[in-house]
Amino acid sequence: MGKVDLVIKIAGEGGEGVISTGDFIAAACARAGQEVYTIKTFPAEIKGGYAMYQVRTSLDPVFNQGDTFDILCAFNGEAYEVNRQLLRPGVAFVYDYPDGGFEPEIPAGVHAYPIPMSRTAKEMKSYRSKNMVALGALSVLFNINEKTLLEVLVYKFRSKGTEKLNFNLDAFHKGKELAEGLVKTDPWRVADPVDPKDVIIVSGNEGVGLGAILGGLKFYSAYPITPATEIAKFVALHLPKVRGILIQAEDEIASLSQVLGASYAGARAMTATSGPGLSLMGEMLGMASMSETPVLVVDVQRGGPGTGMPTKHEQSDLFLAVFGSHGDAPRIVLAVEDVKDCIHMTVEALNLAELYQTPVILLSDGSLAFSTQTVPAPKLDAIRIVNRKRWDGQGVYQRYQMVADGISPMADPGTPGAMHMATGLEHGPTGAPNYVPGNHEAMHRKRFGKLQSVAEFVKPTEVDGEGWADVGIIAWGSTIGVVREAVTRLQADGVKVKGFYPKLMWPMPVAQYESFAKTCGKILVPEVNFQGQLSHFIRSETTLNPIPYTICGGVPFTPIQIMNKVREII
Amino acid sequence: MSISMIGQVALKPKDYKSEVPVVWCPGCGHYGILNGIYRALSEAGIDPSRLMSISGIGCSSRAPYFINSYKMHTLHGRAGAVATGAQLVRPDLTTLVMGGDGDGFSIGGGHMPHLARKNVDLTYVLFDNGIYGLTKGQYSPTSRPEMTAYTTPYGGPEAPMNPLLYMLTYGATYVAQAFAGKPGVCAELIKGALEHRGFAYVNIYSQCPTFNTVDTVEFYRDLVETVPQDHDVTDLGAAISLARRTSEGCAPMGLLYKVDRPTLDMQMTAIMDGVGGREDYDLNQIIDANRP
Repeated sequence: MGKVDLVIKIAGEGGEGVISTGDFIAAACARAGQEVYTIKTFPAEIKGGYAMYQVRTSLDPVFNQGDTFDILCAFNGEAYEVNRQLLRPGVAFVYDYPDGGFEPEIPAGVHAYPIPMSRTAKEMKSYRSKNMVALGALSVLFNINEKTLLEVLVYKFRSKGTEKLNFNLDAFHKGKELAEGLVKTDPWRVADPVDPKDVIIVSGNEGVGLGAILGGLKFYSAYPITPATEIAKFVALHLPKVRGILIQAEDEIASLSQVLGASYAGARAMTATSGPGLSLMGEMLGMASMSETPVLVVDVQRGGPGTGMPTKHEQSDLFLAVFGSHGDAPRIVLAVEDVKDCIHMTVEALNLAELYQTPVILLSDGSLAFSTQTVPAPKLDAIRIVNRKRWDGQGVYQRYQMVADGISPMADPGTPGAMHMATGLEHGPTGAPNYVPGNHEAMHRKRFGKLQSVAEFVKPTEVDGEGWADVGIIAWGSTIGVVREAVTRLQADGVKVKGFYPKLMWPMPVAQYESFAKTCGKILVPEVNFQGQLSHFIRSETTLNPIPYTICGGVPFTPIQIMNKVREII
Repeated sequence: MSISMIGQVALKPKDYKSEVPVVWCPGCGHYGILNGIYRALSEAGIDPSRLMSISGIGCSSRAPYFINSYKMHTLHGRAGAVATGAQLVRPDLTTLVMGGDGDGFSIGGGHMPHLARKNVDLTYVLFDNGIYGLTKGQYSPTSRPEMTAYTTPYGGPEAPMNPLLYMLTYGATYVAQAFAGKPGVCAELIKGALEHRGFAYVNIYSQCPTFNTVDTVEFYRDLVETVPQDHDVTDLGAAISLARRTSEGCAPMGLLYKVDRPTLDMQMTAIMDGVGGREDYDLNQIIDANRP
């Protein structure tokens, strides 16, 4: 038996095959029945710069990227320099040597495996084979299943011709031979294969795209922005298959405008962006609130403000998502934890927009965007599609009719007898402009009031742990996955701790927060932003007195950071 | 674009008038344009429930309120972008955008090139009065330097743009110009635009007697010159030459340009057909494509 839970990190220069090597390992492990959670960082440069891919693999569910790596594979000197502080005793270190252009110092206790990657590639007269040499070596050294790896390679190179496939396989086998000549001194082994599970492996961005397609999307307007662009790539490929439309707009203002128009015309419609795009959409979000038009905006958050850190992870758009627009502009804000959520909560977000005729903002984040994870293959019969309430053709049609639940029926253009005005001006029940004070207040009550039942429509907030806890941790977004592991490990150490994982961020399910807090001593709120944005809302909306724990260095929390913080405040 | 008659009875211009009273100032050119729109809708035989009238913000952007149809009164500058989404979802309906020079070419200026370039199948009637009226008289992208106004007490510091040149250059497939004082010409050109498959732009000079003291009815009457009978509307160069004459004091009135080019919705349909798209496509195929 190998170690059940293993983290393998590949690092090198962009363009050297770091990312594809990681993808091959992740896919091979998934095919061998293992759970996989990966993260990657791309250089900001188009070509070159530091690139990193980390694969965490286990027979048990994995919720985050882990604390640090067990195995480092360095393709160049920079990869060594960036990670040398993390070469602690016990780590296995595979590196390009000799002829790799760097001479690493091997700290005591580190298991060193020099592999002449560049030299072998040079002998094969192709720089491109370097990563395949490394992959072959890693497969031997750490028991990465050769059968599934070869399946993945054959699948990957099938369209590129036999010659290219054989060349890569040749490099792979050369890497294997080189590693077979070394003596293994470390204990790290990927677990032996088990029966493969019924899974797919997708990134957070692909997950959002898949959720959109499964959720009955018919219109998507895109504008390129890191780290959200990949969603449009996925949707563009598949949406025409269900006779849906994706167009690229001239800017984010146009994206949301087009989505609003498409929705008015009767289609389930969405866009995806990052913080700067959401800022530009602020006015049109208010228009959607005011005109009660269903729209979905996915915001894959990145480091901000301004241009900020476009390729880096942050959870700093909560304020913007909740309040971004002038006037009193209601909306629903959701946040995803992992790739599984990216799929299923996108379906739910489209449903909520349709059901409540209001803008919905779904928050993802930079670390999820490119994190590929194994998730159970979605089952079509378990996907729930809720459509907007439409006029039944009875009586006189009034678009903004005052009804008990505040949700007036819509009517698609082309419907005889239901011609109406959808407007951003304050209006009466017919849509005609109306500035009478009582009307404005009544319409606000309608638009806000209809959202009171949202908390009943979505799943109750998950509470992780039972009974009394000295510390209750409230986490949102991808931080939840880190906290899950910290809670489990702390509980195993006898620490009384539990977690609360809201995914409906706004309107806040206040009663659920209150009832959670009644079972806890202190409340800790870790989040990756400077101001403690969720802490702020908890203080303003509930009676809780949270202890904020904020980091914003462009990377997610690790479980050990959360564990240390809990021990510090307990 | 769907041209139909309700119960085979032709609708008259008055049948397109909504119950909302028109709110423009006395003497405003917009009345003439609106009458031209009513006549054009009637002559084109468009079923009101199959018409989407969409506007942004400004005096002229109130127009949808006065028209019997499905309608949206959106945000300043965004009518064209909103209409793009609506038109793509319902290419079987008629999409009519109305708005002013500030709405279209200043705050909405970023969208205009793309409506033309993408050949979105809609009619855009621009009420060009060379001023912001709703905010009581500031200079607009089509104001002449001679105009002293709210923010130009010493005269205008900027050169006006030429909407016709702009639209021709960006690839509009139907470009025409009229003057509000000639509702018959307005009606004829708008009818042509409604029947055109593609992005149809109709620029209509409209006097603002309240705030624009230089662009009077008399000024426009002298400015416009009917497009020559022998003008070839498929000749882009000739259309551009006519449009350029505006700066020489003779603005062309009539149809300058009309060509056929695949519209954005046609391109979208071609993509869907190309991949064998169907409403009941088996989604399991998309799921399965993502197995490890």
